[in-house]
Amino acid sequence: MPVGISGYAAYVPRLRIKREEYAKAWGSFAAAGVAEKSVMGYDEDVLTMAAKAAGRALDSSGVPRASITRFALASTSPPYREKLLSGTVLVGLGVPNEAFSSDHTSSTRAGTEALVAGFEHLGSNAAGKALVAVADAPAASMWDPIEHALGAGAAAFVLAADSLLAEFEGHASYASEHAGERFRPPEEDRIQDLGVRKFSESSFILNTTRAATALLTKLGRKPEEYAHVAIQQPDARAPSSVAAKLGFTDAQLAAGLVAPYLGDLGAASAPLALAAAFDVAKVGDRILVVSYGSGAGSDALSFKVVADRKTPWSVKAEAERRENIDYVQYLKIKGAIE
Amino acid sequence: MAHVSVPMYWRTIPQRYRLVGHKCKRCGEVNFPPKGVCKYCNASSDFEEVRLSGRGKVHTFTLIGAGGAPPEFAEQEKAGGSYPVTIVELVEGPKVIGQMADVNPKDVRIGMPVRAELRKIYTEEGVIRYGFKFVPEPGGA
Repeated sequence: MPVGISGYAAYVPRLRIKREEYAKAWGSFAAAGVAEKSVMGYDEDVLTMAAKAAGRALDSSGVPRASITRFALASTSPPYREKLLSGTVLVGLGVPNEAFSSDHTSSTRAGTEALVAGFEHLGSNAAGKALVAVADAPAASMWDPIEHALGAGAAAFVLAADSLLAEFEGHASYASEHAGERFRPPEEDRIQDLGVRKFSESSFILNTTRAATALLTKLGRKPEEYAHVAIQQPDARAPSSVAAKLGFTDAQLAAGLVAPYLGDLGAASAPLALAAAFDVAKVGDRILVVSYGSGAGSDALSFKVVADRKTPWSVKAEAERRENIDYVQYLKIKGAIE
Repeated sequence: MAHVSVPMYWRTIPQRYRLVGHKCKRCGEVNFPPKGVCKYCNASSDFEEVRLSGRGKVHTFTLIGAGGAPPEFAEQEKAGGSYPVTIVELVEGPKVIGQMADVNPKDVRIGMPVRAELRKIYTEEGVIRYGFKFVPEPGGA
């Protein structure tokens, strides 16, 4: 029996900061192709964002909260280092306490990891329904150029075996050992990067292309059979090189490219790119999703759109609900002034 | 600081996280927060749990500005400026108090449609206290 997605939604916090604000403050802006990015309000964190996106995804699917049997939450930037994170969101939503809940964290690959976990649940529970919420807002030192790209956002999906808008066709993964790019020692709440650019780029390309190629081979597909490809976006340029290596065009990337106006969304990057692709996809379109997490690993997932059912909470509509802030306001909201 | 211990907070999580109210089985009115005896008919303590929609209209509001914030909200006020506190009349009837978020304080109006959502309220003893705040809901209520 096919399984897939029966509802989805995006949530983007309403504050934005433009690249010009960084240029004024620091003299330059280090995030390639990012014009502006989203910023959480002072009273938001990844759990409140996840709750918002997940509630919307449930509303868009029409699936009652009481029927959820699996809840998977993903984020690299949880408000606690130890404590069940998904419990907060589950209780906030009114999803049954008996649903098997899991927290996926410590890698920007966590979003697709949670999606795969949700589909695996359906594989062994044909009558089950899974809710997957991915929210992220990575943080780095304001002195570090890797901070410039970091945005905030959430996407959530309802996974089921009926009332599908997209069928899940399969997934493939690739994991390897790469150290020194984007990591966080236990005593740090801000990400670090040794800044060896060539090394990071080669890891990004190696892992993502291996996962994607494995999936294309498994499904017997060619890149031109996909209408859209949604690739991890540490900045707005990084996906292009992966797409080119795999034989995809910039046109296939366009719909899922969210980093130019939202920034690097961490674990929520590939999931929000997928939501943005769903927003414009037509029945029959195939969508390939490729995530990446430093250290390093990648998941590739393939979907086929089977119904023309859009969420009322599209990525574009969320991106348009906005208020600009300047760099000093940004520092205050981020609590970056000691 | 208006100290609320973690156990006290925990007992009210259904109300704070998802607005669970008590519908009086005798008169049908919704009590929020729940009461021992229905505050509308004063004659029944037989209730049914109902989850409120969180949708409503601003009944009245005030702005909390510099120096006016209670200690647990002082940092929020410093970081984000003055913030609105509203009494919202929910579509189910109860009037509830809460902060308003995602709005320019100058734009808050009596009668504006709003919707409750989960936010961080404040942090005490290292524990984040989540609860509802109201956000504008264009076209709502």
